[in-house]
Amino acid sequence: MSSYHGKVDSLGLSFFGSMTASISHEIKNSLAIINENAGLLGDLVALSEKGRPLDPERMKTIADSIRRRVQSADDIVRRLNRFAHSANQPVVSSGIRDILACTIVLSERLATMKGVSLTLADGDEIEVQTLPFVIENLLWICLKNIFLLAGTGQQVMLDARREASDIVITLRCTPEIPVKQLESSVAAEGQPLIFFLRVQVQADPDGSSLHLRMPIRFIE
Amino acid sequence: MAVSVLLIDDDEEFLAILAERLTIRGLEVTTAASGRAALDLFGTAWFKVVVLDLQMPDMDGLEVLERLVALNPAQQIIVLTGHATVTRGVRAMKLGAADLLEKPVDIRELVEKINTAAAGAPTVPAGNRAGRSPYPPQEETPRPGLLRTLRGLFAGGE
Repeated sequence: MSSYHGKVDSLGLSFFGSMTASISHEIKNSLAIINENAGLLGDLVALSEKGRPLDPERMKTIADSIRRRVQSADDIVRRLNRFAHSANQPVVSSGIRDILACTIVLSERLATMKGVSLTLADGDEIEVQTLPFVIENLLWICLKNIFLLAGTGQQVMLDARREASDIVITLRCTPEIPVKQLESSVAAEGQPLIFFLRVQVQADPDGSSLHLRMPIRFIE
Repeated sequence: MAVSVLLIDDDEEFLAILAERLTIRGLEVTTAASGRAALDLFGTAWFKVVVLDLQMPDMDGLEVLERLVALNPAQQIIVLTGHATVTRGVRAMKLGAADLLEKPVDIRELVEKINTAAAGAPTVPAGNRAGRSPYPPQEETPRPGLLRTLRGLFAGGE
């Protein structure tokens, strides 16, 4: 393995670690609520044995909450499964908006912790031939650096459009952040991925945006 | 007199259920759904024990911990989190956490830790802000529960 591929793999491993740690925390939060609800049911039954009547509506509310949290935990595990599979995928045909949506879902908890909201712009799907995991990794590096520059209330809208044989992903930041500084940090931290995917990273200070331009078909 | 507890967690559903379960067990529970709300409450009321989540959107739990300890160096604070990495656990200990528990938690263990922490808390009448400060300097005391938890974290990794 060349040192260059090693750097791509090393960044990928770090990204995979960050995402799985974040996802496992989300699962733990769901388990904590399920645990408390189950415990509360036990408490209420114990109280009923001492003469306090059981309220059927209350029981129903607790059961609903458990069901909701199990569903939420199941969604999280599905997301983890999909993400885990993306790491060992070869070059595939995939919708770019699907990749952006997946990145948003993966990063949402960490974004919320920083007070940042992430949205996907409306638009038609564009098929690309690429390595989704590597694009998600590069997007994560962009988002992570936005979190460092942003304050609470920051909004980031992700969008993609086709330009000839290229795809251009845009991260638009509202309110404005120093996108030139963002461009430098992303170029430095994501350099092996940028080289691997043949991406041009370009700040647009007027639009408070960062553009990632890459070929619509991954070139080995 | 019931032990007064301030629960701080950004998950309001978790907060409400845990508060109810602790109240059933005879504790006097107040809740705060954010670090800022907790600091506001801290300015008007006195709590024997604080139970604090580490990961909250508006203010990091470690920052809340640091601020609470700055306001009251004798405050008994138990960290209850699903995000107890070794680094953050050690940092919480250094900042003055009395103990550290991971979610999901066994309620009996949590109540036991709260009562242990309450036994080590100074007695100040509720609402008596004048009596809060200055607290006498606290001696460093061993915290076997916390050390046990940290050993568990090291065994389980990050």
